[in-house]
Amino acid sequence: MSSQENERPKLAFSPHALRRTVLEMAYAGSTVHIACAFSIIELLAVLYRGHLRYPDNQPDSDNRDYLVLSKGHGVMAQYACMRELGWINDSHITNYFKDGSELKGLSDSRIRGLEVTSGSLGHGFSVGVGLAFGLMRKETDQKVYVIVGDGEINEGPVWEGALFASHHGLGNLMVIVDQNGFQAMGSTDEVISLGDIAAKFDAFGFDVLSIDGHDEEAIDTGIRNLWQTPSSRPKALIAKTVKGKGVSFMEANNRWHYTRLNPDTYAQATGELDQARHLS
Amino acid sequence: MREAFSSSLVRLALADPAVLLLTGDHGYALFDQFRQKCPNQYINAGIAEQNMVGMAAGLARLGFRPFVYGLAAFIPIRVVEQIKLDIAHDGLPVVLLGDGAGFVYSHLGTSHQSTEDIACTRAIPGLEVLSPADRFEMQASMNYAAVARRPVYLRMGKADRGDVHSAPLASFQPGALLKVCDGRRDQPGLIATGSMVSTAMTVAEVFDLNVWSAPMLKPLDADHVCTASLESNGIVTLEEHSVMGGLGSAVSEILSEKNPTKVIRIGVQDRFSLHCGSYDYLLEEHKLTIKHVLQSIASLSESLSA
Repeated sequence: MSSQENERPKLAFSPHALRRTVLEMAYAGSTVHIACAFSIIELLAVLYRGHLRYPDNQPDSDNRDYLVLSKGHGVMAQYACMRELGWINDSHITNYFKDGSELKGLSDSRIRGLEVTSGSLGHGFSVGVGLAFGLMRKETDQKVYVIVGDGEINEGPVWEGALFASHHGLGNLMVIVDQNGFQAMGSTDEVISLGDIAAKFDAFGFDVLSIDGHDEEAIDTGIRNLWQTPSSRPKALIAKTVKGKGVSFMEANNRWHYTRLNPDTYAQATGELDQARHLS
Repeated sequence: MREAFSSSLVRLALADPAVLLLTGDHGYALFDQFRQKCPNQYINAGIAEQNMVGMAAGLARLGFRPFVYGLAAFIPIRVVEQIKLDIAHDGLPVVLLGDGAGFVYSHLGTSHQSTEDIACTRAIPGLEVLSPADRFEMQASMNYAAVARRPVYLRMGKADRGDVHSAPLASFQPGALLKVCDGRRDQPGLIATGSMVSTAMTVAEVFDLNVWSAPMLKPLDADHVCTASLESNGIVTLEEHSVMGGLGSAVSEILSEKNPTKVIRIGVQDRFSLHCGSYDYLLEEHKLTIKHVLQSIASLSESLSA
């Protein structure tokens, strides 16, 4: 889409600001799943900044690209981006989880900007495959990105969808695996070993690229390179990430799948983020 | 009735290119005509029902009109969560077609039999449930499903039990009971659905009873059910489905609130089939044959007149 540059306001999507918003929400609502959101911050920042096309900044434009957050547990990261886009406002952030509030703890398709209702895992991937298949039938150049967690790919429908996507040559579909190495009850190695995720998607007929999921340039280049691969194969970007990335005591500490912030940890976490920004 | 089903599908697909038929590698001969006339609208999604239903949601979001076909044991039972979350939650216009419901696959055992599908689908918010009894109800049901613009489950059970209506339905009002036998008001009235409507009609001849067919189980028109109870002395429901959560439950829910009436639910008790055999054999095992229904009605009739 040549006019793409004019269609989106120039926004920074700075990972620091996005993580700050996540903390603000999580503290306001006393919520869990902070670490699940932190591992996909850079992925979302790069996607919203330079890849996803929303004509006239409309999240429900018929001509948009689709971002399906199949790992609904990371939804606070997406809310943070949506705040920057102006699709939700500050009161959504400060009133998160208050009685009667709209934004839920997991992705809900009734919110403009969120494509699927997820959190029950393995659903968004199939919906994304359906979207990609439908867009291909419509012969548009719109693209579908599906973000799945590495724990999530324990779910069978993911592999059912992978077979279908490959068989039908859905070259407009990119699955992004947030490989943070943890799932609810422990590390993925402890719970159900996934082995070589890249090799698995390759074996299912995807074009695969593995990158550091916190290196924005690597993500950006990786996405471009995958789309430019001259094949009709669906794409898989395997993003090696750190669960809880950005706050030392949350990083690779699965307690932060479940733990809520208190005044001390909130101050510590925001302090660390701010300090890291000054140093960079 | 199966002919009415497949020709309706072809007609709808030819009329609207957005109609897509998705099958989970089932329906071999049933779709010959469809594959021939609308090859581009036919998608065999493989033996992968969960993905197929999720995909249907994605396609519906783009304006396609997916008709998702499988055996009732799989569509809807295997994919109840996909129906709930991916489709019904957003009221997407997807038509779910569950074939072979009840004991159609009498020789194959529990994996292919389906006597809990109505209960499961009725409880999903916004999902409508159709259960046609003959080719005329099937045609009307398919037409309705195509224009409903909301999620619909269409249950297709034993399909060779003959017509219960004498002509195409003049209209199809969602949730209406259709009177198929006019009988005595001092006797129990029968409300049946799907394959059991013809059984109800046979029994009604013996006792001179009112019979209504219920081609739609959700919504079910409360006024129609109350009227049926007012025109009869007690109500008997008949279905090739569990007595829990199906037609019998739906009728009881309405009558207990609006016009307390003695209701006897004839259907499958809280058990799986024990044996293998013909369809009639399985009906016998579950006491759903004409003979058993006659006995139930006779004893009810006796107790009501006592």
